[in-house]
Amino acid sequence: MLELKRALDAKGHCLLEMPSGTGKTTTLLSLIVAYMKAHPLDLTKLVYCSRTVPEIEKVMEELRKLMNYYEKEMGMEQNILGLALSSRKNLCIHPSVSKEREGKVVDGRCYSLTASFVRARHAADDATPICEFYEGFDAHGKEFPLPPGVYNLDDLKEYGQMKRWCPYFLARHTITHANIVVYSYHYLLDPKIAEVVSKEISKTSVVVFDEAHNIDNVCIDSMSVKITKRLLDKCSNSITILETTISNMKENDSKRLEKEYKRLVEGLRDATIARETDMALVNPVLPSEILEEAVPGTIRTAEHFVAFLKRVVEYIKTRLRVQHVVQESPAGFLRDIHTKVCIDRKPLRFTAERLASLIRTLEISDLTDFSPLVTVSHFATLVSTYTKGFTIIIEPFEDRAPTVSNPILYFSCLDSSIAIKPVFNRFQTVVITSGTLSPLDMYPKILDFHPVIMTSFTMTLARPCILPMIVSKGNDQVAMSSRYETREDTAVIRNYGNLLVEVAAAVPDGIVCFFTSYLYLETIVSSWYDQGIIDQLQRHKLLFIETQDAAETSLALINYIKACDNGRGAVLLSVARGKVSEGIDFDHHLGRAVLMFGIPYVYTQSRILRARLEYLRDQFQIRENDFLTFDAMRHAAQCLGRCMRGKTDYGIMVLADKRFSRADKRSKLPKWIQEHLKDTNCNLSTEECVQICKRWLRQMAQPFSREDQLGISLLTLEQLQSEEMQKKIQQRAQGVSF
Amino acid sequence: MDDYQTCPKCKTTKYRNPAMVLMVNACGHALCESCVELLFAKGSGACPECKCPLRRNNFRVQLFEDPAVDKEVDIRKRILKEFNKRQEDFPTLREYNDYLEEVETIIFNLVFDIDPTNTNKMIDNYKKENKDITQKNRNRQSQEEMELEELLEAEKAQQCEKANLYVNAELEEKKQKHKAREKLIDELMFSDADAKSIVASHVQATSALAKEQPKAAAQPSSGVVKSSKFSSGIQIGLRGQHTNSFLPIPKQEDLPLYRYTAPVFDYDGPPPPPIEKLGKLNYFANIRAANITERAGGYTEAMSCCRALQEALGGLFYSPQLTHKTAVLATNPSTQDTDDMETT
Repeated sequence: MLELKRALDAKGHCLLEMPSGTGKTTTLLSLIVAYMKAHPLDLTKLVYCSRTVPEIEKVMEELRKLMNYYEKEMGMEQNILGLALSSRKNLCIHPSVSKEREGKVVDGRCYSLTASFVRARHAADDATPICEFYEGFDAHGKEFPLPPGVYNLDDLKEYGQMKRWCPYFLARHTITHANIVVYSYHYLLDPKIAEVVSKEISKTSVVVFDEAHNIDNVCIDSMSVKITKRLLDKCSNSITILETTISNMKENDSKRLEKEYKRLVEGLRDATIARETDMALVNPVLPSEILEEAVPGTIRTAEHFVAFLKRVVEYIKTRLRVQHVVQESPAGFLRDIHTKVCIDRKPLRFTAERLASLIRTLEISDLTDFSPLVTVSHFATLVSTYTKGFTIIIEPFEDRAPTVSNPILYFSCLDSSIAIKPVFNRFQTVVITSGTLSPLDMYPKILDFHPVIMTSFTMTLARPCILPMIVSKGNDQVAMSSRYETREDTAVIRNYGNLLVEVAAAVPDGIVCFFTSYLYLETIVSSWYDQGIIDQLQRHKLLFIETQDAAETSLALINYIKACDNGRGAVLLSVARGKVSEGIDFDHHLGRAVLMFGIPYVYTQSRILRARLEYLRDQFQIRENDFLTFDAMRHAAQCLGRCMRGKTDYGIMVLADKRFSRADKRSKLPKWIQEHLKDTNCNLSTEECVQICKRWLRQMAQPFSREDQLGISLLTLEQLQSEEMQKKIQQRAQGVSF
Repeated sequence: MDDYQTCPKCKTTKYRNPAMVLMVNACGHALCESCVELLFAKGSGACPECKCPLRRNNFRVQLFEDPAVDKEVDIRKRILKEFNKRQEDFPTLREYNDYLEEVETIIFNLVFDIDPTNTNKMIDNYKKENKDITQKNRNRQSQEEMELEELLEAEKAQQCEKANLYVNAELEEKKQKHKAREKLIDELMFSDADAKSIVASHVQATSALAKEQPKAAAQPSSGVVKSSKFSSGIQIGLRGQHTNSFLPIPKQEDLPLYRYTAPVFDYDGPPPPPIEKLGKLNYFANIRAANITERAGGYTEAMSCCRALQEALGGLFYSPQLTHKTAVLATNPSTQDTDDMETT
């Protein structure tokens, strides 16, 4: 709190690592809300970004608790408006549209019901369907702001039902004057969405990125484009649709095209007057000086532009017809496209903008078909805008299946700071926080910002809740490692198996194991089967395996939880970087032990990764190995953190790889894990590990009541106000500041 | 996905004959290579689809999936050879854009055979009017192209440099590690000191080295020119600092003020009479007086007279043995001076 307050005072950015389950969300919310109340002029808004919908809901729950507390203590209504925002899919209450299951379809159908021209047509002719909820909102909702309170997604829907207003547009409208906004990263980071949703958020806001250990990847994904053969075929289809609509329109209603043409000649941008429902297509980040220029003459008329698009698509098609992997810079691509199909850089830059304008003019209400073409237009714009920080990789086939031709063009962003830069520049305080951010110094480098505060917090605990151990060898003294050279070694695989079996025999309830990749998981499980390890394991616990299929995995998870709940005990084999490692908590009996088999390095042969590493090395002086280790360790820490979700929780963390004990890896673990990782536990054999586990579990199994925690990790109000404690707090405050 | 390329004449597909190559001619209709050979054995003939008269030498390999695009690109290349005005040739952006659109219309018309007579007339007119500009621009690269070329060059150079640099750095590091280890073993073997202290000092030395290394690694990269701007105009690099602060005020250097000193000439001879006294000494009697037109230009007899006297008297005392050294000394600074002049 102290650090956060300092960052707020300094109006700078900060990077905080707090162990999960220690009340990170509450701390952030309560301090920032209090700060907002104390300095209403300095700080007007809190934007809280989280990853998934359940996480957003959790934050809203915390916020509600906080508001209730305020009300109870202060005895009056609080004038604070908190609000969650999600996609149309989660907020739609239209009877038929909300039945759609795919997000894109919902967006498209919503657009076809609410776009301004559709509504204009409806005014002339009643047969055209429109959305009554949007009409309701448009007619009344804008004047009456939402009454203060905390609204999660369901509340918004309920409120919308009651008033017959569209909750999605209501929420979007309310963002501008709400005090607390909770939504997903993408609304702020993805330049395509951010411009629509978050444009009007004032500068004096605090932005919190929760669970932000993967933020650089989110940034990169939002700027990267992947083009496959199928996508291009779909593009060709949509181009023919465009062609026919244009010729139709020319016959029936050529006025509109002329109007658009005139506007383009004048170089007037219409984004400024764009209406909120029409903004389904947005151009990716372009510097404004370019946008203010008039659209070049080559793509001014509709037919020319369609022919231009056709050439672009055909050109990319020829590029995809390669036999070997090609990697080139945007500059090389631009030169090639110029020589092959005579396309200059400038019109290419305007592609996204021009396409958006054309679609608006043609009044095409079904946007879902055009998404491939929009992707290509984004690609064209990006490739001609940025010549640095991006690379183009064309792979004729996937690495896993080199015989099947499946050409893909990756336009990959290498610099994660490009996407997040506007956020840092715009808002006075950006807080990046997660349970596992170590090593902290890497984030400012790769995101290219200067934090004023950068701290890793530890937990104050009444008992040693976590037991991290590094197991480096099996009982036969063969070193355990997932190194490439030894990963096929049967001795290593057997030792991993024995470790799991012995731990499973000693540890009650649930055990979660993480492997480095799906491939590795499969090979290991199959050889365990041959070696009879699976049978031994099943004598102790049930076995569940995460697969790449989401439905299968969630079924496995449900049954795993069932098995843990009824005391049978279970083992879940999953993959670091997989779904399980990211979003699912294994608190209390669901995860009494986490085993990490090997170091979860990324697949280093991937060309995109290679290109990114090279870029990092050249631009930020980050060595390849440093980044790879950083990435591996943050994922390892993320996996380990799964079992520890609170102060009353306890769990064993086993790192089964020789390499973990090296200083460069160990020092990159979060501080709260390092604190408990004793030197004596850094080079254990399987047997020693099991001995330590047993002793520790016996200790942890002692009854543990609230009174034990009092005075150490839990303070009563009297204790907090006691002189001794006050002194301690004072000391802390000064000690940090000097 | 399974719409393989098919020859419209013989219906061979790429699937059945992977070696099949489709060709296109000016009309934009595709034919496979063997059909071309068969139908155009005489060197010319009609397109089997549109009956257009075609020459065999004009057949090219089809590059794109859609032969129409091939045709368009072909026409475009031809037209753009003539219509190659640049933005610099126009006073305003608007006019340039209008021009671009006109070109586009011409190409569009040619591709879809709209109003061919008029279009061709337009092209001919243009050709006549803009002959010299076209000719000139043909030899000149547009600014954009140049920019791209430059970028590519820079990229290449950087890549080369970096590859070398990092390979060397890595090798060096390995070598050093190896050396340090050997040194430690040697010391442990032969020295009489306490083993613990030797190990401790070794650890210290290696950690000191490790500290130094990042610095060393950072140095060469700082030598590489880091642009702080994207081609799009967005700033990159450590921007936080620069965006908020103003440009630094250019520093005034504390140099002494400039003072004029009259040049001293070394005549190496008796001093010539000064220019003001020439009239009194009656030198002008021997030379032609300046006429009115010459005087109008600012010329007087004194100038040429003075010059002639200086030339006559200069170097009279010159003797090669004595002044050789001084002459060399004298010429050296002068050459340096000229060098300075060139560089500035």
